[in-house]
Formats: sequence, C-alpha cells, structure tokens
Amino acid sequence: MAPESSIRNDSLSTTQGDAQPARPPGLRPGWKDWIGVVPFFAFAVFFLFLPSMSIVYRSFESPQHTFTLDNVIAIFTERSLINAYTASLKISLITAAGGAVFGFLLAYAVIMGGLPRAIRTFLTTFSGVASNFAGVPLAFAFIATIGNAGLITRWLESVLGFDIHQTGFTIYSIWGLSIVYMYFQFPLMVLIMAPALDGLRREWREACENLGGNSYHYWRFIALPILLPSLLGTAILLFGNAFGAYATAYAFSGSFINLVTILIGAQIQGDVLYNPGLGNALALGMIVIMSLSMAGYSWLQQRTARWVR
Amino acid sequence: MKRGASIWAWVILIIGLLYFFIPLIATFEFSLRAIKGRYSFEAYRLAFMDPAFVRNFGYSLMWCVLTIIGSLALVVPAAYWVHLRMPRLRPVVEFVTLMPFVVPAVVLTFGLIRLYGAPPIVLIGSPILLIAGYVVLSLPYMYRAVDTGLRAIDVRTLTEAALSLGAGWGTILFRVIFPNLRVALLSGVFLTFAIVMGEFTFASLLSWPAFGPYMEEIGAMRAYTPQALALVSFGLTWGSIGLIQWLGRGVPSQGQVGGAH
Amino acid sequence: MSIDKRFNRRDFLKMGAITGAGALLAACGPAATQAPAAMPDLTSGNSIPLDQLLEAAKAEGGLTTIALPHDWANYGEIIETYKSKYGLTVNELNPDAGSADELEAIRANKDSKGPQAPDVIDVGVGHTETAMADGLIAKYKVADWDTIPMKDPDGYWWAEYYGVLAFEVIKPDIADTPQDWEDLLKPEYKGKVAMAGDVLKSNQSVQTVLASGISRVGTLGDTTDSAVEAAKAGLEFWAEMNSAGNFIPVIADQGKIAQGETPIVMEWDYLALANRDALAGNPELDIVVPASGVLAGPYAGGISAYAPHPYAARLWWEFVMSDEGQLLYLKGYAHPIRYTDMAARGVIPAEMAAKLPPAENYAKAVFPTIEQLTATKTYITENWRKVVYGE
Repeated sequence: MAPESSIRNDSLSTTQGDAQPARPPGLRPGWKDWIGVVPFFAFAVFFLFLPSMSIVYRSFESPQHTFTLDNVIAIFTERSLINAYTASLKISLITAAGGAVFGFLLAYAVIMGGLPRAIRTFLTTFSGVASNFAGVPLAFAFIATIGNAGLITRWLESVLGFDIHQTGFTIYSIWGLSIVYMYFQFPLMVLIMAPALDGLRREWREACENLGGNSYHYWRFIALPILLPSLLGTAILLFGNAFGAYATAYAFSGSFINLVTILIGAQIQGDVLYNPGLGNALALGMIVIMSLSMAGYSWLQQRTARWVR
Repeated sequence: MKRGASIWAWVILIIGLLYFFIPLIATFEFSLRAIKGRYSFEAYRLAFMDPAFVRNFGYSLMWCVLTIIGSLALVVPAAYWVHLRMPRLRPVVEFVTLMPFVVPAVVLTFGLIRLYGAPPIVLIGSPILLIAGYVVLSLPYMYRAVDTGLRAIDVRTLTEAALSLGAGWGTILFRVIFPNLRVALLSGVFLTFAIVMGEFTFASLLSWPAFGPYMEEIGAMRAYTPQALALVSFGLTWGSIGLIQWLGRGVPSQGQVGGAH
Repeated sequence: MSIDKRFNRRDFLKMGAITGAGALLAACGPAATQAPAAMPDLTSGNSIPLDQLLEAAKAEGGLTTIALPHDWANYGEIIETYKSKYGLTVNELNPDAGSADELEAIRANKDSKGPQAPDVIDVGVGHTETAMADGLIAKYKVADWDTIPMKDPDGYWWAEYYGVLAFEVIKPDIADTPQDWEDLLKPEYKGKVAMAGDVLKSNQSVQTVLASGISRVGTLGDTTDSAVEAAKAGLEFWAEMNSAGNFIPVIADQGKIAQGETPIVMEWDYLALANRDALAGNPELDIVVPASGVLAGPYAGGISAYAPHPYAARLWWEFVMSDEGQLLYLKGYAHPIRYTDMAARGVIPAEMAAKLPPAENYAKAVFPTIEQLTATKTYITENWRKVVYGE
C-alpha cells in the first residue's frame, strides 16, 4: 500500500498523525463522503419510499378517512379481486417456470452446446432488445401470428386443415397471454444465466470425467447444484417480472382481462372500483408479493456468489 | 472429450429462433400491406411523414437525456463512494436498487400521483414526476452497470496511486476513475435510453407526450403505420445494443437485462 | 469528445441542471393568465360576445383538449379550423381516453394548471351526472343555446352530435353479414365479434351493451326502470356471447380490423364510415345498422371547472356549436345536434346531407333520456364483470 507519510496533503483525511492503520488515512470515511450518497438516498426517499409508504398507509384508509381493515379484507373476500390475483399469480407462475426451463435450455445451447461463437453474440444482443419488447407492438405481433386471422393460424388451416380455434384455444386467455409473456421472459433468463453458465469451469467437467463419471454424474452432482440457486433466483425474478407487467396485458384486452395491474391502472384512470382505498390495497398486495420474491431472489443470489467469482 | 455442436443445441436454437422471429415476420408482412393488392413500403413512408412522430420522438429523446443526466448524477457518486469508503452501506444501496422491481411501474405511478398531486407538494404539472419515474426505472440497471465497472477496475489501487502522486479528488474522479468506467457508463446510458424510449406506463398514466403512448395512440387510430413503426423501433434498439456490445468488446461482460412491461 | 471535460462541467451543474431543466419545463406551460383590465365575466354562464372572447382567448394563447381522435366525427378538421381561424394553439391530450378517463383527468389536475389539465371535454351523456355531481364542469351557454335540443337547463353541458351504433363487417371475411343483434350469436361468428372500447371506461361500449338489450327487450321504455331492464338484458346477451365464444375480449381498432382479427365490430356509424374511408377498401367494409335496437348516442360537451384556459375553452364551444362547426361534424358523418334547426333554415348543403347515412336507419333510432343514460351506465359498469364473467 502507499506509504502513509506521503498522503499528507489529502484534505479529506481525518487527523491521525502518523499512526499505522490497516488502511491509509486518506481513505477513511469522513462527513464529506456523505455528499456523494445523500442525493441518491434523498431521491430514493422522495420518489420511491414515500410513494410506496403512502400506498401502504392509504390502504387502511376508508372513504371517510378513518382507519379500516376493510380494504385489505376485500382482497380476500371480493370475488373479482380474488380472481384478479389468481389470474396474475397463475400467469406469473406459468411464465416463470416455462421461461426458466426453456430460457435455461437456450442459454445452455448457445453457450455450451458447441454452437458458433457468433450465435451467442447474436442471441445476447437480440435478448437485450426482446426483453424490453412489450406492450402494443408485442400484442399486435402475436395477434398477427396466432390470433384469429394470424399468419400461423391461417397456415395451419390451409396446410394442415387444423383450426386451432376450434379446440377452444384463444390468445385472449391466461395461456394465450402466457405465450406472449414468454417473449420477454426467455431473453431475461438467457441474459441472466449466461454469466452463471460461464462460471461453470471446464476443469470441473474434466475432473468429473477423469474420475470416471459421465454426463449424468456431471449434471447431478456438479453443475446443477452449483447452478440451482442461480436458476431459482432468476425464476423468481421472472415471476416478479410477469406479475408486474401492465402494458402488454392492457394492449390486449384493456379491462376485459382481469389482472391486478390492469385493475390498478383502471383505478388510476377512472375510479372504476368506486373506492380509492381499495386501489391502494391492491397495490399493497402487489408490493407484498413482490417483496417476498425479491427477498427470495437476494437470498439465492448470495448463495450463488460463492461459486461464481 | 469431443466438443462438437450437439444436435440438441441446434434443435433448441431453431425452436427459439422460430418463436422469436415468426411474430416479427408476421408484423412485417402486415406492414407491407398498406396498399391493397401488393406489397409496398407505403406504411413506412407515411409513418415517418407524420409530424406527431417527430414531435413525440423528440419528447422522448428529451426525457432520455434528462433521465440519463439525473441517473448518472445520482448513481455514480453514490456507487463510487460506497465502493471506496463506505462498504457498509453497500447492502443498503443494493436494497434501494432492488426496490424498483418490488414496486412495479403501475403501482409507483399510483403512489406518485396520490402523493404529489395535491398540496403540500404539487408536482403533477411539471415533468419532474415523469423524469423521477424514469430514473427510478433505470436505477437498477445504471447502478449494476456502474457497480460492475467499479469492480472490474481496481478502484482502491487507482485512487491510492493517484493520491500518492499528489492528485486532488477532482483529478482522481474525472481523470482517473471515469475514463476507466467509460464502457460501463455507456452500457448504463444505452440501457436507460432503450428503456425510456419504449416506456409506456409512466408517460401514459402521467399524461406526458412520449414515444411509447404515441405508438399506442396511432396503434388505435391507424392501421399499417403503427406496425411499421414498431419494427423500426425494434431495429433501432437492437442497433444500439449491438453498439454497446461492440464498444464493450474486450471488457468483462456486464449483464444487460430487460425493463418494465 | 473528451470524457473528463464533459464530466467536469457536468459535475458542478448536475444538480442545478436537473432542477433547472425541471423548472424550465414547468414554466413552459401556457402563457400566464394575468387578467387584463376588463376580462369578461365567467361566473354567470351567459354567452360572451365574440370579439371580447377572442381577445381574452388570444391572451391565453392556447387550448388543451382530450380524447379527440382525428377521425372521430371529423375532429381533425375541427381542431385545424379552430387553430387557423383564431390563431391559437391546441394541445391534444390522449386521444384514446374514454369518457371516464376524461373526468379523471380533470379530477387529477384540479390543483395544477399544467399541460395535462384539459379545458374541454367530450363525454357520453351518461357521464354528465357524475361530472356535475363532482363539480368538474363549469356552466356556459353558447350564442346558439336556444336551438340545442338536448342540454342541461343551467348550462353545464350540451349535446354536440350523435350517431347510431352499427356493425362494421369485413366483407371478404364474413360470408353472411349479420343484420341484427341476435344474429351475432350464430355459431358461424364464433370468435369474430369485438367491441371498440373498454366497457368500464368507454361510453361507446356501454351503449353497445344497452343497444343489444333494447333489441332483446323490444323497447327502451320511458322510465329509468325500463331502461335498466334493457341494460340487464344487454348484459345477459353479452354473457351469452362470451360463453358461446363469439365475443373476443379485445379492444378493436383500425389496425386489428385491417389485419382481420376482428371481422365484426360494433361502433358508431360515423366512426365506421370514417374507417371505411381511411382503409379505402383495404379491406372492404360493410356497414350495417341493426334491424332492431337502434340506439342513438349523443355526446355532450363541457368546460372543465378547473380549466387553465377558460376563455379559449368558451371560444371553442362558440365555434363548435355554430353552424360552421356543426357542419364539420356533418362532414365526418355524424349528425350535428342542431341538425333540425339548421335544415329548417336551409344552411345544409345538399351534397353534404347526401353523404350522411340513409335517413331510414334513423327512423327507428331510440334517444334515451339523460336519467336513463345515467342509470344504465351505472348499472352496466357495476355489473359487467358479475354477469358476463360470473364474478
């Protein structure tokens, strides 16, 4: 480390004389350091914490401005609200699971499947865009593909004589919407798992083989245990991502589809629930669910950090 | 062991590519049908001729610039100081950057409107709320980019070396640290750009002109041109991300992930 | 580009820049409404002489509108004419907004005079009760007040134009065009019928439900109770449409119609006709007014009680409700509300009158009363999810 005697003209050092601290005196935190972080925290307080707290606070407010648990209870008792949460949770679980599985396969194929290097770069950049592709353009793209007059629908009908809508399939359902959501779930999985897969060192595979193991052993005892926290953590991230999605669902069906985000958006725009406290309670419910998922994600991330340096 | 491409890798890749590109092709095919009976680029021509396109695109560009400035101003000093001098604050800062995932855009807008829509603090008439919303959205990605960049360069050694050579803090920050963060900062900037340009929720619910709501409005009012625009914007974003990759070659990979939906 | 130079400057200006830019943008609002010496009176609600109004409006500089798509009853041309005729700017907010959204926009911007506060609104008549009850609109009687057949007696709102609900059908995709509401339930239309708006927010969709109900019950009746009966029947009709799978829960728009996703859409006839013009045969549209359940839907105009530009707003209405403005509605295939009066005075050019949908369509048109419209709107929005989706 730099000799302490030469760090004398550093104006930010606290007066320590020539004592030998573990760290050079010039780098000890002083009050001036807080200048750097205060704007950040002030911003977070005003535009992140206070609005969120105001939501929490007002969920317990009745139209007469008294304290009430009615709004929160309504979430568990009113059918349309229960259905909204159920539908949102369903889509989130489906797309988290599906996104995690196929996204992982895709990432694995591109990174470790022996495909040309250029394909990996191609998929990574594409994933960067696709994970942001949402809302009206995405909705339309899928309507134009598997909607009533979609490209695939018509192709299947003319070439295979098979009308997918006769089987009752419609894109305007939980499953249909899930298929659309995958468009940004797969890329998200690919982007986040790529570094994790990079962290799987070749030596481990070789060591496994040297000891007489095959692919199954490698995966069962080495790769999957290492990747599992990352996989699960990312799956949770996907869950949260789908749960909070608004623009895409709205672009499809406006308020015809009953999801929590749509309900909240409708509440902002038109007081359709005739009760502002209820809107806040819905938002509170979302915050709770998302907090739990983020906590899970953080915990799993820390467990991964052991292996991926 | 022979490491040639396995057949399964190709199968998965092809399925993935089909899933991603068929909807894009369907949109493209539709956008070419503006003139009855034959394929043409009429929709594209009309899309660019619309004055509202230029106006809304311009607004979004302005929001982008303001957001990037705000985001950089908040994140870079905080990340640097936490990294260098207050590592104990790191978990707190990281928690803050995870908050935007916990509070989705819809919910945050709701809270912002209720809190700042009425006295004592009325912000609803000015774009401050919108920019604040965008900065919140971009916070996780900007922080992660800067943080990754700071980890990749040895900040401590650089700072100490500069200090030992007699540099003041100003010089250290602007002539030693920032140039080394160039790629990380660019990556954060481009990501913020991609997010703000396509953002819909905040702009729409707060009623500000921007490209996202514009896309939705013309989507509701016209046929063919909105689809053309959607593809153009997809291409432009892909281009900018490709640019990051190219600029960032040779630097340890930084995770770039998706935005609000 | 030298990175350190850029950040050097930025470092000191960054906080100032944000606040400065924010303040600058905040100040980029409309010109200050410092009242000049003798501003016309706003509280009485009486018509203000045009020259005084024009002067006051010019001092304000511009107008903020909301929910006026350009091809909705020719609003595009109406806005342009207003701009060029009076030399004012028009800030157009969210053309996609439904009637409920417009009222919410006024509520949300009560304390701000910024660019998101609308000055004038155009809502379904069923929404006027709420607007008045919540104190969202100001009263004003335009110069042509007496010849407006549908209005609030105190001057809080007035009808501007109307049309009837029609089926907009993509000709190449549908072999047999439906002629009436009950036809829509036929199995051949499975997955083919859509509404053009969100029932919870759009007046048009609420009226669609009501019209189907009127067709079922046979009549709207004269009382609010009979109207609510019709609304009930309408909700049941759509519940059947939903379970049969004929109803696609997507909001139809020009793009989806052009693409073929929504071959049958229920829209106001003037919108359908405007669509037909815009698409110009690509694809070909058939526009059919149903044989029964012909519902006329007037739209009401109002001035926001918190309007940042009160004079420009009043000028807007003087223009829109004048013969010139009403004829522009006619050009967009909508019936101006003062049609009878204007026809009696012979101010409607023959070719324009010819472009309107045929008069026979309107022979059976039902004009609900204000009370009926309000009651049915409340009933339908409150019970939509319960009846149609069983929640």
